[in-house]
Amino acid sequence: MAEAAEQADSGKPAAQSQPGVLRDRYTVRSNQPIAEFATPNAEAFVAEDKRDPNRQLFALICRPELPPRVNVMRALKGATTMGFVPLVEWGTMLWPPIGRQCMTVIYERPQGRKLMTNLRAEFKRIDEYDIPRRVVEPMVAAIKELTARGITHRSIRPTNMWFMDEGAERITLGDCVSQPPAFDQPLVFETVESGMANPVARGSGTFSDDLYSLGVTIIFMLLGRNPVAHLDEEQLLKQKIQQGSYNTLVGDERLPLPLVELLRGLLCDDPDQRWDIESLDLWLSGRRLSPLQSRMEKRAARGFPFNGKEYGNCRELAQAMAKNWELAIPPVLEGKLELWLRRAVEDAERAGVIAEQVRMALNSGNDKRAGVDLMLCKVLIILDPTAPIRYKGFNAMPDGFGSALAAVMAQKGDSRLMAEIILRGVPSLWFEARKSYLPDNSLMEGNFRELKGYLTQTAMGFGLERCLYEMNDSMPCQSQLLGEEYVVELKELLPALNAAAAKRSDAKTWPVDRHIAAFMGARARSDIDRNLVQLADPEPSRSLMAMLNLFAVFQYRLGPESLPALAAWVGSLVGPVVIAFHSRDKRKELEKEIPKIIRRGSVVELYNLLENTEARAKDEHEFNWAQAQYHAADEEVKRIQTESDERSVEAVRIGKQTAAVVGILIALITTTFVVIAKVW
Amino acid sequence: MAKKPPPKGKVQQQARPAGSGGMNKVAVLMILAALVPFSLPTVVVLFFTMLPTMGAWASEKGAHKYAWLCVGGLNFSGVIPYLFTLWFGVHTLDEAFNMLSDGGLLLWAYGTSAIGWLIYTAMPPVVASWLAFTTDRRVAALKAAQKKLVEEWGDEVTKKNG
Repeated sequence: MAEAAEQADSGKPAAQSQPGVLRDRYTVRSNQPIAEFATPNAEAFVAEDKRDPNRQLFALICRPELPPRVNVMRALKGATTMGFVPLVEWGTMLWPPIGRQCMTVIYERPQGRKLMTNLRAEFKRIDEYDIPRRVVEPMVAAIKELTARGITHRSIRPTNMWFMDEGAERITLGDCVSQPPAFDQPLVFETVESGMANPVARGSGTFSDDLYSLGVTIIFMLLGRNPVAHLDEEQLLKQKIQQGSYNTLVGDERLPLPLVELLRGLLCDDPDQRWDIESLDLWLSGRRLSPLQSRMEKRAARGFPFNGKEYGNCRELAQAMAKNWELAIPPVLEGKLELWLRRAVEDAERAGVIAEQVRMALNSGNDKRAGVDLMLCKVLIILDPTAPIRYKGFNAMPDGFGSALAAVMAQKGDSRLMAEIILRGVPSLWFEARKSYLPDNSLMEGNFRELKGYLTQTAMGFGLERCLYEMNDSMPCQSQLLGEEYVVELKELLPALNAAAAKRSDAKTWPVDRHIAAFMGARARSDIDRNLVQLADPEPSRSLMAMLNLFAVFQYRLGPESLPALAAWVGSLVGPVVIAFHSRDKRKELEKEIPKIIRRGSVVELYNLLENTEARAKDEHEFNWAQAQYHAADEEVKRIQTESDERSVEAVRIGKQTAAVVGILIALITTTFVVIAKVW
Repeated sequence: MAKKPPPKGKVQQQARPAGSGGMNKVAVLMILAALVPFSLPTVVVLFFTMLPTMGAWASEKGAHKYAWLCVGGLNFSGVIPYLFTLWFGVHTLDEAFNMLSDGGLLLWAYGTSAIGWLIYTAMPPVVASWLAFTTDRRVAALKAAQKKLVEEWGDEVTKKNG
């Protein structure tokens, strides 16, 4: 035993130093980490291409508890645009150091250095005359490429930019796929709205968010340092709200006029006025526009006292209230906010809407507390319509909700708040407050309505798990049954279950749990909700057939042809289905046939064998007939046993009649004989 | 309280056997009376030899009176050879009394009627035994069929639907 333990201990480090292999081609050296290429949430290692050993590559190993941006990986793989570190390959790989499958991204290794090692470091500033050629041009090309592919980068910052060449001429953008969008972004590179959201819930955003990050990055490049390094995130956000992003970041620095124009355009806090790609193209072609002047929100005649401080505008106040949810409720309910809006801000329209919301909350029916929470959420949206959805301390952009839920569930955190947000229709309050129509918004609103429907159903295949997979296309299945397998697509599920089947300890465990059912529901192209509902059927044979049906359909459509371990797993559970047949002969026939099918590894055949409706109907019919026969025989036996007295009376009567007949017959025969004897 | 009169149908049902029995008796007596002038010796012989049959007819009670048929049949088979001897020999009253006094005739007549009684007494238990045997066989066959059904369909088959 001790020897075995020793061997196991000595084997563990050996396994940790083993390389990982992606798609049988790229070897990732787990014993050769590269700190400089690591991102805050993904470690970097040396990677080698077996077909081209001279190729300089590195691999990023994503953290399993954060959903990577698979859709962006798909879009960027093989892209040869100048502005990116080329993404060579991606996929899941068994990563020996942690002994489980991990999402891995292989990049070409830049030859030059990182632009900025950390946000407090100073670096060699880029000359103002080089900015358009060396920075803006490649970045605009990169953002154009992203926009054309329908994706955003959301990780544009100097600490994620590289010189691809040793001469430090060609600047490129680093990784943006190993974590949720903008998750690693320091607040300084995010717009005010995105900065208000929890980092994991910032969402993919739009190209406008990338352009804002580019603007901040240009300031860093011009100055060769972080101009707001002395501010913590809260102060920085407050200052951005109060003074505007440009003023906060540039401050008293003197910048050349052409760049002032560019930066004012990119750092404009109003997303509608912020420069777009077209404006940048014009700027690059030399056409000068008048610099945008930041239009700050009108300050109130007197501040609103809240939590020991005074707030001069609605956005600032809304942010403070969102951070202090419980404290914010009394002044709103007491009408102080309405009064302040009416008198100090002189915005009677907003004051009226808020008064109406308060009145509705006070008159709300059963759940007054829920009504008040929704009221405050709505009030915050009214005060600052562009801010993220803010509810009880959770702040999320609508498109960041999925990654936030994924992170909470992967970290096994408390997901009740997220469920509450969906169930109470909080996102719809945000969508209703949009001033202009956006197709994406109505699509998202529809999705949230669908999620609410899933959440109201508690059965397997629905609930919060279903929401998780519906909102995150690239979320790997989180089922414990799959062990270390990394299953992102439906076609990977059955092979993973087949692999997991060999390791299962409890023979009675079903190969479906809440996560697998929800994953199947979200990833199946057809509507399988009816089958998922049947999974919860109290009749074991029905629920088992529903499970078999799902697996059989997926094996038939997506393969592989043989899944012996999974077939054996499922086969060991089909007892109730076999028992559902009444005929013992049929049961024996099935019990004889099932092992043969299991050896062939076909869940499809197993399903077809058990789901023979004709045989089932025949069995039922014949059973009913047999039951009727049994009871008829029972009745007859009972009748025979209860009618013994009547039968003895009958026996006497028949006996007497028989004796009479015998007597007459003897008389007739005797007479006949006598007649013959005398007459003859 | 006045007693309720019995239903009409019931009265008729009770009256019918008594009426038909009376008619039969009258008919038999009339036939015998008609025979008397032509074959008095035969009547005498029959009267004395068939006394057990008449006794059986008179002694049996109840709805199913079959004793006189059984006893009578055998009684008659004991008498008939002597009747033929009388008919084909000297058919006189003297000869009839002569035969009766011989003893052989009465021995045969009463002996065969005794056998008749024996048959009549033994037949009901025999039939009862036969019926019991057949019903036992039927019950056994039914139980065997039930056992086979249980083997084929399990204990569920014994449960009643619904």
